[in-house]
Amino acid sequence: MRYGKTIKYAFHVIFHPFDGFWDLKREQRGSLAAALTFVALTIITLTLEKQKTAFLFNPYRLDRINVMVDVITVLLLYVLWCVANWCLTSLMDGEGKLKDIAIATGYALFPVILLRLPMILISYMLTSGEGSFYDVIGVVSYLWAGALLILGTMITHQYSVKKTLLTCICTIVGMGIIMFIGLLFFNVIQQMMTFVSTIYEEIRFR
Amino acid sequence: MKKRIFCTAKRMAALAMLTMVLTVGSAPAAQTVYADMPYDTYSYNYWTEDVIQPHAYLYTGSLSADDFQTKLNYPEDMFLTEEAVYVADTGNSRVLKLSLTGKVLMEWNTAGGEEDRLSKPQGIFVTEEGHLYVADSGNGRIVEYDAEGAFLRSIGRPVTDLIDSNQMYTPVKLVVDKAGRIYVTAYGINMGLLEFSKEGVFQGFMGAAEVSVNPLEYIWKNYFSTEEQKKRMETIVPTEYSNLFLDKEGFIYATISNLDEEGYLSGADAIRRLNPTGTDILRRLGNYNIIGDLYNSSEDAEWSVFRDVCATGYGCYFILDSAGGKVFAYDYDGNSLFIFGDKGNREGTMRLPAAIGTNRDASIIYVLDSQLGEIMQFEITEYGSHFLGAMEKNNRGDSQGAYEEWQEVLKQNSNCELAYIGLGKTFLKEGSYKKAMEYFELGNSKKYYSTAFYYYRKEIMQDYFSKAMGLVGVIILVTGTVIGVKKFRRWAGEVRCVMEKQ
Repeated sequence: MRYGKTIKYAFHVIFHPFDGFWDLKREQRGSLAAALTFVALTIITLTLEKQKTAFLFNPYRLDRINVMVDVITVLLLYVLWCVANWCLTSLMDGEGKLKDIAIATGYALFPVILLRLPMILISYMLTSGEGSFYDVIGVVSYLWAGALLILGTMITHQYSVKKTLLTCICTIVGMGIIMFIGLLFFNVIQQMMTFVSTIYEEIRFR
Repeated sequence: MKKRIFCTAKRMAALAMLTMVLTVGSAPAAQTVYADMPYDTYSYNYWTEDVIQPHAYLYTGSLSADDFQTKLNYPEDMFLTEEAVYVADTGNSRVLKLSLTGKVLMEWNTAGGEEDRLSKPQGIFVTEEGHLYVADSGNGRIVEYDAEGAFLRSIGRPVTDLIDSNQMYTPVKLVVDKAGRIYVTAYGINMGLLEFSKEGVFQGFMGAAEVSVNPLEYIWKNYFSTEEQKKRMETIVPTEYSNLFLDKEGFIYATISNLDEEGYLSGADAIRRLNPTGTDILRRLGNYNIIGDLYNSSEDAEWSVFRDVCATGYGCYFILDSAGGKVFAYDYDGNSLFIFGDKGNREGTMRLPAAIGTNRDASIIYVLDSQLGEIMQFEITEYGSHFLGAMEKNNRGDSQGAYEEWQEVLKQNSNCELAYIGLGKTFLKEGSYKKAMEYFELGNSKKYYSTAFYYYRKEIMQDYFSKAMGLVGVIILVTGTVIGVKKFRRWAGEVRCVMEKQ
């Protein structure tokens, strides 16, 4: 039943972020399972949105959609954000553990699910003249999630506003660096593999 | 072993069935296969992909030197009337009037007297009365001949301060509208079309092409770049018109051919339709810009260069692309209908196309090829005539006729988005909104889909709104009663409590 309660707690978090994020960490009212559920739901929301939004509001081409792209984008960004944020805040006297960060970030995604999922249904009831309504809700969902992400970082690590903003910017830069190093590593491994396999072939054909 | 034999037998049967299906399937298609055409016919779909479609026009032969009994030398312009073709044979400094079979009916050349001796004429126009106007480029004047071919007058260099006196005056193309006003393009003059009155008096410029400046570029040029850089940067010059065509309503189609890469990418207008005040009134409601091919596919490929244009009475127009040797057909709204033609050395391909024209009902497209010195003829196919027929009937307001034509188009090309939209419009008019929505979705038209959906939603609302509201009312009533009863009981209990205490 605890899992159900932690899921339900998301409603409290998104409407009372200061109180909500505080209790997430200090009172153990959230859970990692719930946070990961929200990540999964975000992936499902974005995928459904691409496939099921009404013709009028769907700029995507059904036969060109790749579900894996959505899955990897959201998962990668989530993991990168958590790791980069954790790396940075451990150096900058942050109080949050990696688990706390993962939970706060997961709960911050909730507005995206809450607003975008019903918008798929609502899109079937709107003409393009009323489309601005649809667009505004879409933008609001992201702004809300972004604001929650910043507040979550601030409260989890007990930071001042200035320090939080700085951390967020640094985290994004950090994400870029991790990606760069990852690609570099991948590339080097690939080169080494070809090197080894070429040597193997050369020896074999002698 | 037994199993293998069985397998082979099964496979054989499957093969036989496949062959049967194939032969049955290909039998009806065999009647309209033109595999020997040296070009493809295609158009761009909503997703800007080029999609092959059935041929709309087929190359049927050329009028060549054998028909004329004389050779053309780099002819630059052609004008079609009901019964004759006029050709400006620029290289030979003459103008020919040919019959539709290619016989020379009349000739204006250098042999005449001092005043009607032509020199490298590049543009011609024939009025409804049969008067021939020639842009006598080499002599820097415009010459008018009457229907019998006799010299009437010549109009020389315009008397104005607007053109620098050092500048050469070389008229290139011209049209004459119903009121007798003459509109001329000239080399190096980019202020627009030169407008002459009926009497040949210079009136001013008309339809100047606007200069568009990118704000970022402007700031860079004026505030940040050094003198050296400024010198190296090309100055922004308005575009020049490359050719003119007067349509049946008296509007002037004008093509622009000197666009740069940036111009194409930003969707600068390569064609305009000018009204008598010089305002561009071309409708651009299509999915993409009217620039010919939407991208240049390979490194050495070029963008389309609009060399000439001609229009039908119902607003469709054909643009000739001299870079790719193609003809682009657009409808009144600026939707791409079909694209055909190619450049090359095979029969039926173009070398250096210079001018385009059609007969009255657009059943034959004539393309004058400057390098070949031939007039190529492209005849309309059944598919093409249904396609253009739908346009024409739509223009006339005959929506039933257009509906039938679109059905025929779809039979031959189920990828035709315009046909789906055309059918959808008919359903919309009839009031079958659900079906209209279906067709607009197939045709990828969000604009019309939205309109159809609006009415569809209204219909649904009218049918179900009262019932839905009734249901909501009942629910509110029931819950209200339940809550009321509960509250009353609690209140009664409290009252009893208080009473008992006392």
